[in-house]
Amino acid sequence: MDQIGRLLGYLKPYRKQVVLAVFLLLCVTCTPIAMPLVVRYTIDDVLPHKQWNALNHVFWMIIGLYAVRGGISFALNYLLGWLGQRVVFDLRFQSYRHLNRLSLSYYDTRQTGKIMARLTGDIDTIQYMVSGGFVTFLADVFSVIVLLVVLFLMQWKLAIAAVCVIPFYVLNYKLFIRHIRPLSEKLRERWDALLGILWEKLVGITVVKAFAREEFETDNVMQTIKDNFDLAMTQMKLNRKLGAFAQVIRALGTGLVLWYGGALILKRQMQIGELLAFNGWIASLYDPAVRLVDFNVTLQWAGAAVDRVFETLDTRPEIVDAPNAISVQEMRGAVEFQDVNFGYDGEHPVLHDINLKVNPGEMIAVVGPSGAGKTTFINLIARFYDIQHGKVLIDGIDLKQIRLESIRRQIGIVSQESLLFSVPLKENIRYGRKDATDIEVLQAAKHADLHEFILNLPQGYDTKIGEDGIKLSVGQKQRMSIARATLTDPRILILDDATSALDSKTEANVQMALERLLKGRTSFVIAHRLSTIMNADRIVVIDGGRIVDVGTHSELVARPGVYQNLYNEQYKSAREHSLEALLA
Amino acid sequence: MQNFRRFIKELRAYGRIMLLSVFLTLITATLSLPPPLVVKYLTDHLSTGALQNPSLRVNLIGIFGLLLGTACLSAFFGYWLSVCLTYLGQRFKLDMRRKLYAHMQTLSLGFFEKSQTGKLMSNITNDVAALDQLLSGSLITIVQDTVTLTAVLCILLYQNWQLTLVALIVYPIYILNYLAFIGKIKFTHHEMREQRDMMYGDLQEKLSGVQVVKSYAKERFEVRQFIGETRSIMDLNVRIGGMSTGLWTVAELIGAIGTALLLWYGGREVIRGTMTAGSLMAFYGYIGGYLYGPTLRLIQINDQIARANAALWRIFKTLDMQPNVNDVPNAQPLPPIQGSVHYDHVWFEYEPGQPVIKGINLEVKAGEMVAFVGQSGSGKTTLINLLQRHYDVTDGKILVDGHDIREVQLASLRQQVGVVIQETILFNTTLRENIRYGKLDATEEQIIAAARAANIHHVIEAQPKGYDTKIGEDGTKLSGGEKQRIAIARALLSDPRILILDEATSSLDSETEALIQEALDRLLAGRTSFVIAHRLSTIVKADKIVVMEKGIIREVGSHDELLALDGVYAGLYNQQFKVALEEHAA
Repeated sequence: MDQIGRLLGYLKPYRKQVVLAVFLLLCVTCTPIAMPLVVRYTIDDVLPHKQWNALNHVFWMIIGLYAVRGGISFALNYLLGWLGQRVVFDLRFQSYRHLNRLSLSYYDTRQTGKIMARLTGDIDTIQYMVSGGFVTFLADVFSVIVLLVVLFLMQWKLAIAAVCVIPFYVLNYKLFIRHIRPLSEKLRERWDALLGILWEKLVGITVVKAFAREEFETDNVMQTIKDNFDLAMTQMKLNRKLGAFAQVIRALGTGLVLWYGGALILKRQMQIGELLAFNGWIASLYDPAVRLVDFNVTLQWAGAAVDRVFETLDTRPEIVDAPNAISVQEMRGAVEFQDVNFGYDGEHPVLHDINLKVNPGEMIAVVGPSGAGKTTFINLIARFYDIQHGKVLIDGIDLKQIRLESIRRQIGIVSQESLLFSVPLKENIRYGRKDATDIEVLQAAKHADLHEFILNLPQGYDTKIGEDGIKLSVGQKQRMSIARATLTDPRILILDDATSALDSKTEANVQMALERLLKGRTSFVIAHRLSTIMNADRIVVIDGGRIVDVGTHSELVARPGVYQNLYNEQYKSAREHSLEALLA
Repeated sequence: MQNFRRFIKELRAYGRIMLLSVFLTLITATLSLPPPLVVKYLTDHLSTGALQNPSLRVNLIGIFGLLLGTACLSAFFGYWLSVCLTYLGQRFKLDMRRKLYAHMQTLSLGFFEKSQTGKLMSNITNDVAALDQLLSGSLITIVQDTVTLTAVLCILLYQNWQLTLVALIVYPIYILNYLAFIGKIKFTHHEMREQRDMMYGDLQEKLSGVQVVKSYAKERFEVRQFIGETRSIMDLNVRIGGMSTGLWTVAELIGAIGTALLLWYGGREVIRGTMTAGSLMAFYGYIGGYLYGPTLRLIQINDQIARANAALWRIFKTLDMQPNVNDVPNAQPLPPIQGSVHYDHVWFEYEPGQPVIKGINLEVKAGEMVAFVGQSGSGKTTLINLLQRHYDVTDGKILVDGHDIREVQLASLRQQVGVVIQETILFNTTLRENIRYGKLDATEEQIIAAARAANIHHVIEAQPKGYDTKIGEDGTKLSGGEKQRIAIARALLSDPRILILDEATSSLDSETEALIQEALDRLLAGRTSFVIAHRLSTIVKADKIVVMEKGIIREVGSHDELLALDGVYAGLYNQQFKVALEEHAA
């Protein structure tokens, strides 16, 4: 409920429009009351007394009434639509801005699809509630109150007859809905489960076919679909029973009014037009009554969406600029780790006591078994996470004292999977520096050995990639991200396993592009290939979250330890067989 | 239209229930007609004039009974109508989904490689649902509304045709107004949807690529771009809202003019005495409540049919897709095999005129291990896919134990050929069920034995729920190496005579690799195996190394033989392991 209050807070900037909307709403709810009055006037006064002139008045009354109603309701609906859209816009914008501020750790633990759902489905639900459910609720409250007042003023005895069935109406609804709601819930769950199964089995079709399990899978899925079918039938039957009873109860109410009203007319206590007017009014009494009961369902539904959206908005970004953070314009590229300890959740440390000093222009290879903490180690340099103990210094300044943007602008990252966006090649390369000229883009592409390939495409640098564009091979993607990094001319470069997914010939191409990129920059390289590792100025061996050794290749191979073991294991067979070959 | 004819044909199986639905619709439509007549009766019998006439007696209890009775009947038949309709729709969906899914399962791998999974899903879910809407929604609306419209028009014309015409003067304007607005609304709506899809696509991309956004410190740029997109969607939405409000406001006004005309003209008739006040009230009720709604619904059906037509087209397209690999008539099951394989002058092309396998000859004895080496695109994977008969050879033949694989039952072939592929696909179920997938009737002991042999038993035991641990989204997460070992256990359990292995490029650490290697060695022992190899250690172990280049076999032989040959393989070997060699020599 607090959350709903907070949501209403989003209407504050539009206070004037809200007041106007409520006023218009009041006016509009009064019009359904007027039409039955016109009918009564016609039947009771105009027709029996043969007033020809008054008949013309009736004509203009109706036209006037609806013209006024039309004008007001148009203004009202337009205003409401605008308000709803506006709130959604504000909310969506705020959420997205906030999501961009959140640190990488937020994304690590959540699926993209779920984050998406908040920005799309949840906010749409909220919009529906703001401009649909909530307004209907207000309108219904007004019209029920006004109608009741009018009914009781006109004929209180008849009004009682009309109102006395409402409790049954509500009771019937409550009784059924108690059984229907869990069913609907279950149905939705089952449906989601079905989608999950379908997705999984269609993606994993190779396995299904490899084991010749097609029939088994079909039966399996059909069972789930059949369950859905049974549930849907049960739910619908209950729903329809609810509807059927409501119809009967309603007829009961109408019947009572006409019966009792007829009797009143016979006693000369009332005129027929009045009864007809009553008949018109009670039709617009029953529907809102049920909708009012139903409103808390809408509210609960939207409430969950509101909760999720606000939860996102309330997540504090872990990494923010310190108030007096400075901006480093020209970084030299010296990096120093001082007693760094780090764990993702604060409980399970991943890195222990890391101490390392890297000079500008040095190339550092990071080696170690998977899970040792290599990626975590290099992620700390770009301050994707904040460390709990110790310091990371760049050019002698604590990372936390430098403005985030100014660090990241000067650090380039090429990782194992290259993420490119569905825009033209040119724009993908330009991503790091939007103001780069076409010539600079071209040079970066040349640097990454891509220029010729791109020129051969029908649309050259304007070729789109992704779903409705061309597909790039892994090696080409890798070189694209190298070109992108080249263009930003970073002082510090991080290569996370950049070439491991490539076959040897492609790797040779990428390797050349990489070497050009590395020249003259401080670089951290996670690699498995011996040739890359051997090029490094220093090799840092990480195991179990600690730096266990640092040195050049020949130093490390010479002394027993993790590196020597790694080296031996990985190249043992190559050596053995080359020996045989040499002997042969 | 052809699609519709076929759709109707599909419906033939539901003929009886459809007939029943139409019958019930007729009843409920008729039962909805009395209320305005009740009003007429009351008005005529209770008007000031009528009250002076003692011979006119009013039966109030009868009215009450009539109202309640029709409501009860209408509720009863309405209930059964809904049951029939829902049953029809749900049953149709069920059958259609079964048909589609079963058909998809028979299609060959090539089909799945070409189609996006999302589109296939939507075929089964959304497209079929669209047909249900057409079936249980639109078709019934047509019947019900046509009946109501005709009946009401007849009643009105019969009662007083002049008045009917007067009241209906505005009717064409009403329809025109609707048509004029709806075109523009639909167009804008379409535009909005396109922009929204674009925004969603962009969002998806930027959220999954958030690391790049952050690396380049582009957050502000992204937010600005997002505002632009969202704002234009908002503007379009507001415009749509404005237009549809406009449509309904004008429609209401036109309807009101009709009502005003009715009361004015009808009132004159009543005063003149040519018509009773009750008839006027009945007119008033019928025209307000029974004409405009059904008319609009009938107009809207057009749209629904167009939408369903697109869905029909997609569904039939899938259903018409022929699997490119089929059992020949009276194919025999492949008897238990030893595992010898013979590629006999095999040619293959995915696209006509572009052969990717060009006359391959290769004899593999039972129990031999063959390693394929070559650049990506050289045809290694295709050769292996042909052996599993995911595709049929264009020319030549593949023999397994002397049987042409095209002449035996597909399932019996695949059951004896096991596969462990690079990206391990496991399903969202328990570890036990994932392993059991290799052999559905495996006993608990067999499963555990397989897990042991695959070096994964101890990992499973360490899980809180052991073999009942679920994996996937709401279960535990396994590492790449663990997943691979589960897949190995699965393959071990199915105990194939021929095994295909697409080796993972190792981004695994050496300890894990050793565990996997050990498991693989156990799996390979005593079976004919085809390995697409990346690790040198695997290659050198093979009985035969097949060096592929552009669809032909360049060299075949053992590691030592090929090195001695000093050809392509020796070149590859030297290039890749030069560093190691130099290091050793130094």
